[in-house]
Amino acid sequence: MNYVVAGYSITLGILFVYAVSLGFRRRRLARAVAAVEAARAPVTPPDPRSPQ
Amino acid sequence: MTTIAPPADPRLAEGAPATGPDGSARLRATLWTLGVLGAVSTGATVWLGIWVTPPDKVQGNLVRLVYLHPGVAWVALYLAFGLAALASLLYLWPRTRSLVWDRLAAAAVEVGVVFTACTLISGSIWGRPTWGVWWAWDARLTSTAVLLVLFLGYLALRRVPAEPHVRARRSAFAALFAAVDVPIVHFSVLWWRTLHQGATVLNPTLSPEIHGSMAWTLLLGIVALTVDFAWMLVVRYRIGLLEDRLGAEELDRAIDARRAEGGAA
Amino acid sequence: MWRDALLVGGKDLRIEARSRVALAQIAPFGMIVLVLFAFALGPDQSPLVHAAPGLFWVAVLFSTVLAVQRSVAVEAGDATRDGLRLAGLDPAGIFLGKAAAVGAQLLVLQAVLAAGVLLLFGARVVHPWLLLGTCLAGAVGLAASGTLYGALSAGVRLRETLLPFLLLPVVAPVLLAGTRLWQSSLAGGAPDAGASWMRLLLVFDAVYVALGVVVFGPLTEAA
Repeated sequence: MNYVVAGYSITLGILFVYAVSLGFRRRRLARAVAAVEAARAPVTPPDPRSPQ
Repeated sequence: MTTIAPPADPRLAEGAPATGPDGSARLRATLWTLGVLGAVSTGATVWLGIWVTPPDKVQGNLVRLVYLHPGVAWVALYLAFGLAALASLLYLWPRTRSLVWDRLAAAAVEVGVVFTACTLISGSIWGRPTWGVWWAWDARLTSTAVLLVLFLGYLALRRVPAEPHVRARRSAFAALFAAVDVPIVHFSVLWWRTLHQGATVLNPTLSPEIHGSMAWTLLLGIVALTVDFAWMLVVRYRIGLLEDRLGAEELDRAIDARRAEGGAA
Repeated sequence: MWRDALLVGGKDLRIEARSRVALAQIAPFGMIVLVLFAFALGPDQSPLVHAAPGLFWVAVLFSTVLAVQRSVAVEAGDATRDGLRLAGLDPAGIFLGKAAAVGAQLLVLQAVLAAGVLLLFGARVVHPWLLLGTCLAGAVGLAASGTLYGALSAGVRLRETLLPFLLLPVVAPVLLAGTRLWQSSLAGGAPDAGASWMRLLLVFDAVYVALGVVVFGPLTEAA
């Protein structure tokens, strides 16, 4: 029975940790993308300053 | 597998999604549903597997591990890598070439590698009391391990930075070369040695040797892990999408910065 | 296609004939692997004879990695890859030529290593034709799959470390089949299902040669 408990907890534990890490990675990236896009938005309009 | 509809959404093609970084409302609802379904069904499998079902006549309590292991193995060996091979082929086929398939393949392989590792670990924990050893050089164990190494190589290749389509094409070819090898590895290792018990679950008829509640628990375990896999696949796909988008944004920003410098000078 | 294959293969072999990298560096490397195995297993004759087929094929696999890296490096400088494409050569021909050149070098390597195994480990050959056939079939499979992976890794940074990682698990069936076939052709080995192993090896060869002929064009274009 020890092996059974160990098997369930280790296997499901790995899957759970992986799932949580996926969630964190996604959230961090979403924040980074949002930050980059927010920082970019006000810069784009003055387009004519390109050297022509 | 209708649950992978979000990645196939044509609006997400080529890294130009119309939605915000968190995805559309429908995507979030799908993820939420999948997550709850996966958690509940996995919990139910554990409950049925450990407390409800009777111990086996031959294997005793160890049979309880058999409710988890086949589900993990099914997801890892068939679903994940089958999906990765299919997506790689679709990328290579000129008419369906799209980074959607590349991201799907990457997501499937990464999640599949985690499931394969879990397959080996849960199998090993079952093998220790049953065979008396943590690892036996048996056919299916060995070919699963070779598969794991093959797809770790795929992930290593993906980590080498490159332009998205270059990386996609390179990875798709690597997946193709490795996938072609899988049946050959399978047979070679099978002839090399075998002592694993035959496939009990995926027999055409649900084997009569399994007691009623046991069969249902087994089936539930497979469904639960498939749902878990679908959730992870979608989230991992979103990660790939956001990474590409971030890369493109940063490139744009760098170009803008250079332009501004040029304008100032 | 065959003419292009001859041209490319001849070019690679001429480069080898002048630089002697395979003969002067890779073959001695294989011999060192054999000697190191002997050190690891101890000086007794019987475990060495028992392990000889496996040691031979492991040494061949390691040497294959080096030979493939050399074959890629030949094309890496001076934009030779673009040159081959600009010359209008058939990609399938380029693949066959490069694979044939690698295969020919592997056969020489195998001859050297086989002599080493037979002399140093004292193994005795019972079925020489089976032994030769295995070497030939193994060389074809290793050369074809190695050339494919070489082309795949050609433009990649870090390819020196990536190539063995990608290639060695793929060629594991060659190791298994080659070892079993050598066991049945050496004295003292159990004569087991030689025919099915040979068939497996031939299937491996056919699959990777066919894959290379079909895929080499799209694989190398605009990498």
